[in-house]
Amino acid sequence: MNRLAATLALFFLLAAPALAAKPKAGDALPDVEVKVRLAPAEAAHLGLPADTKSFRLSHIKAEALVVEIFSMYCPRCQAEAPAVNRVFERLANSPQGQKIKFLAIGAGNSAFEVDVFRKKFQAPMPMVPDADYVLHKIFGSVGTPSYFVLRRAPTGRGFSVAFFQEGQFEDENAFFEQLLRAAALR
Amino acid sequence: MKTHACLLLALLVAPGLLACEPVPARAQGQTMEMKDMILDPGPLKPVDSTLKVRVGEMAPDFTLPGVLTDQGGKRSVRLSDYRGRKNVMLSFVPAAFTPVCSDQWPGYNLAKELFEEYDTQILGISVDNLPSLFGWATQMRGLWFPVLSDFWPHGAVAQAYGVLRTDGTTERAIILIDKKGVVRFARSFNINIRPDLGLIMGELHKIEEPPAETPRAGKH
Repeated sequence: MNRLAATLALFFLLAAPALAAKPKAGDALPDVEVKVRLAPAEAAHLGLPADTKSFRLSHIKAEALVVEIFSMYCPRCQAEAPAVNRVFERLANSPQGQKIKFLAIGAGNSAFEVDVFRKKFQAPMPMVPDADYVLHKIFGSVGTPSYFVLRRAPTGRGFSVAFFQEGQFEDENAFFEQLLRAAALR
Repeated sequence: MKTHACLLLALLVAPGLLACEPVPARAQGQTMEMKDMILDPGPLKPVDSTLKVRVGEMAPDFTLPGVLTDQGGKRSVRLSDYRGRKNVMLSFVPAAFTPVCSDQWPGYNLAKELFEEYDTQILGISVDNLPSLFGWATQMRGLWFPVLSDFWPHGAVAQAYGVLRTDGTTERAIILIDKKGVVRFARSFNINIRPDLGLIMGELHKIEEPPAETPRAGKH
């Protein structure tokens, strides 16, 4: 009984810590494991093996990572989806495209729901479901949509926050430039 | 003593980490659209009523006033008018301007084509009065399906289906009715959590064979 209780307590204490308050530049993110089967094109974008079934953020081959927290159920995410697609394409096709990658996380969305969003907007970026809000919590339980630029930590392991914005962006061009600057690629 | 301390610690730390534990609206990825104007009631009793409709039985008929935002204004809807024409999904939500349901229906907006492929009309129902429902639906940037007001006599339709909670709100319930008017699926979901769209589509798939290219719903 003693051992069970101690094990339980240990288990919960060792679980990945989440950002406690609103995210800010400099916050280190736990190198969380993302359990999801990626489509070949998604894996290729992130520099992961084609048959990836789970990965850690640190496995992504990039100096900087743009993360969008979205939901199929969020009207603003729906409204902004075409602009986000364009920003993704511009990043991917820019000279810095190999250094900066993109990951969209469907907060509270099942794989089916993420797929509905992807098909509706023909979203070209890697998208992962987060039905139980595990990743969402790691990213500070922010509102949707939210955007992060993560930069690889100096140690080379994991990422830390370089930029955070909760809510829609107003100017697509300015936002694109802002992402590049935050990624220190401008 | 040590055991008790450890157990207490585990209990204190655990709830925030459990995946299905109801979490506050904000922690649920509340859309920015609503986050500053939604009162967070905290976790609620998951289900607080007993379903009165059964799969295989005729769905109780009703007529309710409602609003249809994309066609401007008020209209009255009778369930049996869809008989022989459309499958119907009744989507009961607890009340207007509450955390989870404020984004449940905008999601059904996005999935409109999927529902159409299954020849299914959604009828949203809550116990709010018409002006509140109109304000809410408009604030959701409009909805393609009617939103019906089960306001007076209060929750009478919810009562007939067995989805009226003891505090006068309704369950987060989904009732699927086929073109013969027969109930094919009925469930009160945990009020704190959005029902998975994949599950709903899987149930619709059992009722209506869609065109070949429609994606199959995942496992649940």
